[in-house]
Amino acid sequence: MENKIFKLIKKKEILKLLESLTKEYNIFVPIEDNGDARFSEFKSGQDIYWDYRNTKISPKEILFPQAETLFCFGPEAEVKSEEPASGGKGYLIFGIRPCDAKAISLLDKVFGGEDFEDPYYLERRKKTTVISLACNKPQIDCFCTSLNGKPDNEEGADVILFDLGEDILAGAVTKKGEKFIEKQNKWFEDAGQSDVAKKDKIMDLSLKKIKSQIDIQNIKERLDNDFTASFWDEIHQKCLGCGICTYFCPTCHCFDITDEINPKAADSKTPKGKRVRCWDSCMYPLFTLHASGHNPRPTYKERMRQRIMHKFNYCPENYSEIFCVGCGRCVRNCPVNIDLREMLISIESTK
Amino acid sequence: MIEKIKETVKKLFKENKIDIFIGYNEGTLPLRSTPCFITKPEDIEKLVWNSYCSNNLAVYLPRFFVPQQGAKDAKLPRIGILAKGCDGRSIVGLIKEHQIPRENIYIIGIHCGGMIDTKKIKKVDIVAAEEKNDKVLVEDEDKRKVELKKEELLADMCKTCQYTAPVVYDILLGKEKQKTSKEDREAFIKEFEKKPLEERWKYFQEQISKCIRCNACRQACPNCYCKECFADQTKPKWIGPTNDISDVMFYQIGRIFHQAGRCVDCGACVRACPMDVDLRVFTYKLIKDVKEFFEYEAGVSLEENPPLATFKQDDKQEFITEP
Amino acid sequence: MKNDNKWEPKIVTFLCNWCSYAGADLAGVSRLQYPPNIRVIRVPCSGRVNPFYIIKVLQNGIDGVLVSGCHPGDCHYISGNLIARRKFALLKSFLEYIGIEPGRVQFSWVSAAEGGRFVDIIEKVTSDIKKLGPIKKLGKWQKETEHIKEILK
Repeated sequence: MENKIFKLIKKKEILKLLESLTKEYNIFVPIEDNGDARFSEFKSGQDIYWDYRNTKISPKEILFPQAETLFCFGPEAEVKSEEPASGGKGYLIFGIRPCDAKAISLLDKVFGGEDFEDPYYLERRKKTTVISLACNKPQIDCFCTSLNGKPDNEEGADVILFDLGEDILAGAVTKKGEKFIEKQNKWFEDAGQSDVAKKDKIMDLSLKKIKSQIDIQNIKERLDNDFTASFWDEIHQKCLGCGICTYFCPTCHCFDITDEINPKAADSKTPKGKRVRCWDSCMYPLFTLHASGHNPRPTYKERMRQRIMHKFNYCPENYSEIFCVGCGRCVRNCPVNIDLREMLISIESTK
Repeated sequence: MIEKIKETVKKLFKENKIDIFIGYNEGTLPLRSTPCFITKPEDIEKLVWNSYCSNNLAVYLPRFFVPQQGAKDAKLPRIGILAKGCDGRSIVGLIKEHQIPRENIYIIGIHCGGMIDTKKIKKVDIVAAEEKNDKVLVEDEDKRKVELKKEELLADMCKTCQYTAPVVYDILLGKEKQKTSKEDREAFIKEFEKKPLEERWKYFQEQISKCIRCNACRQACPNCYCKECFADQTKPKWIGPTNDISDVMFYQIGRIFHQAGRCVDCGACVRACPMDVDLRVFTYKLIKDVKEFFEYEAGVSLEENPPLATFKQDDKQEFITEP
Repeated sequence: MKNDNKWEPKIVTFLCNWCSYAGADLAGVSRLQYPPNIRVIRVPCSGRVNPFYIIKVLQNGIDGVLVSGCHPGDCHYISGNLIARRKFALLKSFLEYIGIEPGRVQFSWVSAAEGGRFVDIIEKVTSDIKKLGPIKKLGKWQKETEHIKEILK
């Protein structure tokens, strides 16, 4: 970050910049919706929710939609992949928080890894530019610092923005980001020393605001030997199996594939059916139900153990990364207040 | 009040009347509590009772009585549970449907003054909160302290509560609380019924389109204890697992209709829903209809027959088509 | 005179085997004419009809549903239609409440000897649904939520 060249742009100008880009990109910005924040397609005249803390549902739904048609089929219909809804344009995810941006880089490992390349995800991903917005005000249940994150973390972002009040400070992170800023150069002016100093001060304060700190540096090694440990017997009791934690988590990526039939396909050329991929959750009771009727994870205990092990042991094993970014959505939205931080602390402190 | 509860629970463990007690512990977030399962008397100290104890604990009961394979003679656990009015009615429902045996449940009924709906406080990051009589003092991240009136923060369903304590219980604690009139509780449905058809459909669509099919409503509902929900069935496949709007409508209509004659209006579904779908305006319609058509109210009597398992010769049939 | 209204409603009828289906059969044997819009599904008893069948059928684009059983007191299984009466009272009220036009889902009692009554009921149901027009609610593949979810306008 030290030798980065920063650019400055006024918030009002950003709206104009985004408007000028609507022909080239599908732009997603955070907007206010009844007191909460969510990502939505940028419409001209609409303001960006600059002060938002974080969105309810993570922006993973832009790259990994909840329901996605893989292909259509029919007796004489062309078997084809669904036209990507991009309309030939790129994707611009604007204003995503650093934790969510890091989560995108984690999803990249799953969907674009060495073992398997997911064409649907990658098709979108290669056209996506990620512009993150550093956090000035972390929430009380944010714990990104416990997972090697911070309010101005750059992982996953192409460009990182800092909210200085009326101005936005922008810094390129990747080559893609550099090219983006270069191309839009006319909108930016060079940032001065005072702007950068202001940014540093805001970030210092922001970092101090993160009170939640848990020591999980060795969680993977701990869990290597803990599959049959006794703490699993109690940790699951409150869980309802509702799936909110997985649906809101920016790194969770399990999915189900189903065929949907069109009841009104009038002629043989119209697609009679389509294959759809949709989100699924390991916390659902039927997630691992086999066709034989056997379920290897029959109770909440096995499912809770699976969730923790997957995020903090199996994924570190497979991708060398803990699959949690500390965004706090699972903590905030769990209907029975199961707190992941509490669970991790109790796991760490056992024995 | 909390001392009385702890005393009662200690006594139950001492007299070996229960194996597990389900109550509430302090939550990790302000204005939240969390369910807890006590098996050791030393954990009784952690019990709490306040206006954040909104979860319906009855949802945990069926899983203790699931028959275990190869353990036909296994002893069934004896469970103590802290029950507010709404929770108590859920327990009655579960007993009637033979999901839990009455003799294994020890119900500590408690008069409830209403629970806070944390969704009513938006856009403020509350760092700490304290309840003091009828006020709630909250402190936000900038150390600003605000005093809020508890009755303004109460959940809508708590504002018009008709049963502040369970009707069926083993011991009842607390002082009786004021109840509102029946008309107050039904008012919002009556108002919705007056709206024209297309407006009602538009509202239904708007609310349902918020649903992300996370299934939290179903999992939080004590009445939804089916091993395989219709929504997950593949033979026959009623609906898919996606959030296709038509499937979401079927799911909601189906789940709500499955509660006909059984829903006790505890609000667990509304509280659990992360997307703030207005479910109550639909669930309560069925409750109203069941009361009107069949003079039945769920969860208040262990003896009365469920309305859809019985009939009367003179049941209303104005809806039948005549040529 | 050109008949612009080419649309003919598709109506699914669930007929109980012992009464309504027999009544429909009698109408056929007696050569009574009635609108050809119905698709008959024979069930052992009107009480067999799961409310989900009705919703599923509407979801698949069918314009109307009729469930017909024995008169109360005449059920071959003693009380099937009496339980069904309660179920359908609730279902009809609920569907109407959420905004499905009343008249799309109807219920009737037709006995095995009432061929003429069956015809009258079918004529009424068909004309009711013709007036309502093709179903535009609940249908699958009518509007999909892909990509980012938007509130339906």
